[in-house]
Amino acid sequence: MPFRSTFSRVFTLEVGIAAAVFVLVLGAVGFAFLRSRLRRRRGEEPSNKSEHTVVESAYVVLLLAVAGFLVWTSLTANAQENSASGRPSVTVRVIGFQWCWRFDYPASHFSVTGTCEGGASGENLPTLVLPTGRSVAIEVTSADVVHEFSVPYLRYRTEAMPDHTNTFRVTLTRTGRWLGRCSEFCGVLHADMDFYVKAVSPADYRRWLESHHQPVLS
Amino acid sequence: MTDVVGTAGIDPNPVALVDLSIARRGLPSWLTTTDHKRIAILTMASSLVFLLTFGLMALTMRAQLAQPEQHLVSNQAYDELFTLHGSGMIYLVLTPLAIGMGLYLVPLQIGAPMVAAPKACLWSYWTYIFGGLIILLSAASTGGPDAGWYAYTPLSDSQNSPGYGMDLWILGVMLAVGAMMVMSGAVLWTALRMRAPGMSLLRMPVFTWSEVATCLMSVASFPSLLGAMGLLAVGRVDPSLFSHNTWNVAYQFLFWFYGHPVVYVMFFPFVGAVAEVIATFSGRKYFGYTFTVYSLLAFAAGSMAVFGHHMFTTHQSVNDYFSLSSIMLSVPAGVEYFGLIGTLVGGRIRYRTPMLFALAFIPQFLVGGLTGIMVATPVIDNQVHGTYFIVAHFHYTLFAGSVFGAFAGLYFWFPKATGVLLSERLGRINFWLMVIGTNMAFLPMFFSGFEGMPRRVVTYSDASGFGTLNLVSSIGAGILALGVGVFVYNALRSLILARSAGADPWGAGQTLEWTTSSPPPRFNFDGDHPIPPIRSYAPLLELARGPAPRRPGAAEEAAVGATAWPNEP
Repeated sequence: MPFRSTFSRVFTLEVGIAAAVFVLVLGAVGFAFLRSRLRRRRGEEPSNKSEHTVVESAYVVLLLAVAGFLVWTSLTANAQENSASGRPSVTVRVIGFQWCWRFDYPASHFSVTGTCEGGASGENLPTLVLPTGRSVAIEVTSADVVHEFSVPYLRYRTEAMPDHTNTFRVTLTRTGRWLGRCSEFCGVLHADMDFYVKAVSPADYRRWLESHHQPVLS
Repeated sequence: MTDVVGTAGIDPNPVALVDLSIARRGLPSWLTTTDHKRIAILTMASSLVFLLTFGLMALTMRAQLAQPEQHLVSNQAYDELFTLHGSGMIYLVLTPLAIGMGLYLVPLQIGAPMVAAPKACLWSYWTYIFGGLIILLSAASTGGPDAGWYAYTPLSDSQNSPGYGMDLWILGVMLAVGAMMVMSGAVLWTALRMRAPGMSLLRMPVFTWSEVATCLMSVASFPSLLGAMGLLAVGRVDPSLFSHNTWNVAYQFLFWFYGHPVVYVMFFPFVGAVAEVIATFSGRKYFGYTFTVYSLLAFAAGSMAVFGHHMFTTHQSVNDYFSLSSIMLSVPAGVEYFGLIGTLVGGRIRYRTPMLFALAFIPQFLVGGLTGIMVATPVIDNQVHGTYFIVAHFHYTLFAGSVFGAFAGLYFWFPKATGVLLSERLGRINFWLMVIGTNMAFLPMFFSGFEGMPRRVVTYSDASGFGTLNLVSSIGAGILALGVGVFVYNALRSLILARSAGADPWGAGQTLEWTTSSPPPRFNFDGDHPIPPIRSYAPLLELARGPAPRRPGAAEEAAVGATAWPNEP
């Protein structure tokens, strides 16, 4: 699952740079305060310089270099996140609707859903069950308005749009259960549209599939 | 050459300077005025009334969110509140305040007696007011607007948002935005074509330049919103339109082609104001003027090419390209910061109220700008899109940045526009309440957003752990509101006390508006208040320091820089 590692690498880097810039700016402003005080005490006039072309040009070059580095970081990370190739071993289809979620398992001919009423405190939230260690393709779409399939643990989200499918690939590395939410405003019960993603071992996954397999449908 | 400058103060063409206003005195003279100063005061005062209105809506939302699983307002009411708060603050508060400030100051700063197209500006004001009233009316009608300020389709179509509310909202938005487009066209025309003799382009004050960049962006991007609203209106007649992905995506692109430049429209004039305030209270010429001017123009041009970053997670935008263009905007932004800080470093600083707001702007906007680079990175946006992280980010840019810049400007130019002084003591109270309130309200949102709290949720579960962060935000919002209240009190009190401000209450004015009376005469400058010679972007500073050292060729340079009045025979 590249999302978590890619995200934390890029986010840590950018927070680090941002913190450094913030401290630098505060430092420069603090320096200006001290210098101004000194000027006042010594009765000196303020500077009358309106331009320092050499310093400013060098500064522009520095800014270009930093911005260029950030662009490079962003683009390579983006390529890394979208690098999954080959056939997925599992394909699931996520359908957002007003105001809950349905998860289709096309290969097994069944769907799961639940009730979103009451949001995360609800008893019967829909749960997307996935196997660990397998490359999973998640196809996200909507039956009505725009929703957003977001799972903070995954560090990934994608809009669920009507008449369009967004697909992403994920390989879960450990078992667990995480809360997901709708993150695009979709109407009066937007706040209720919570769900779970549950990762189980491939063996448990197979058992779970069999327990849901209904021959009537196939 | 001395003659060219010398005649600048004398009305070069008295026939042209006739007051076109219908009424001469009392309220009718205000409501039908063609004086750019009065139209601007009306625009800014109206935008401040709207600020209080939509600010109260924000307070209601903060009360609702203060504790988990509260139900002070219904879901539907909450949806209408954030729709009105967002659209009101953008269409009716910050855009008109940004352009209204330009309408007041640009003619004064460039030594023009009036604005270009004064009647069009008066039309703009009234159209803006009608637009605003229609937006407010839409909330009172059946099915108030409840689809968020960007009203994504198909949620905003007539099936998902039935009733007249949404239709009225579209009409109101079109009127308000169309009006501001016309007003910014007039301000732009004024700056480009009506400068006093000697006022070359590269002698225009930084604030005027920031307005030029602003108006270029509004003239170029606002039509796209009219297109988006037109598409939405068509789709409300025939909702089958938005069952097609193509039109949903088209709507988003049209919307954000307006929606991103407009955030800089709501920001640039206030950076310009901060620049003027910092130069004035540092007692020196603005440092890095030329680089700042070019960076403003580069920024304005680049702002037209970043809109797709709002759509990273639709995965139907070009994420790499829009990440590149958005991150590159940090270059002109960095140049502007260099100018602000460079000016401070060489200055002798006086900490008056406008300066306090300008100084707070520097780190506060920086938080918004730096997190802006983060959200311009798709792999980070994939975690924070649609969450309170975004809400925190744009409130740091638009409130902690723009509104603080606006307050710096309001405190700075209030005595000029009204002729009376504001209380410095109340100004300081206002400032500290706003600094504390703003950071308490918006800083916690970064953390709740990072943990996944979505935007526009009416409530959140107790188990989510967002309770404490939201409580701090809500208390902060209350303190912030108190600060704004002190400003209103200060302004009204000053108007009643009416302590005369004089031409230059700060004793350090650098630009032309400080030579004329407060408030300035009908045509800005007259025989008693002539335009001084203009030899730089800080003409008054040069005047105070005595004539600039003569260089060979200086006279010719000045003559080339001079432009003539547009209405010369």
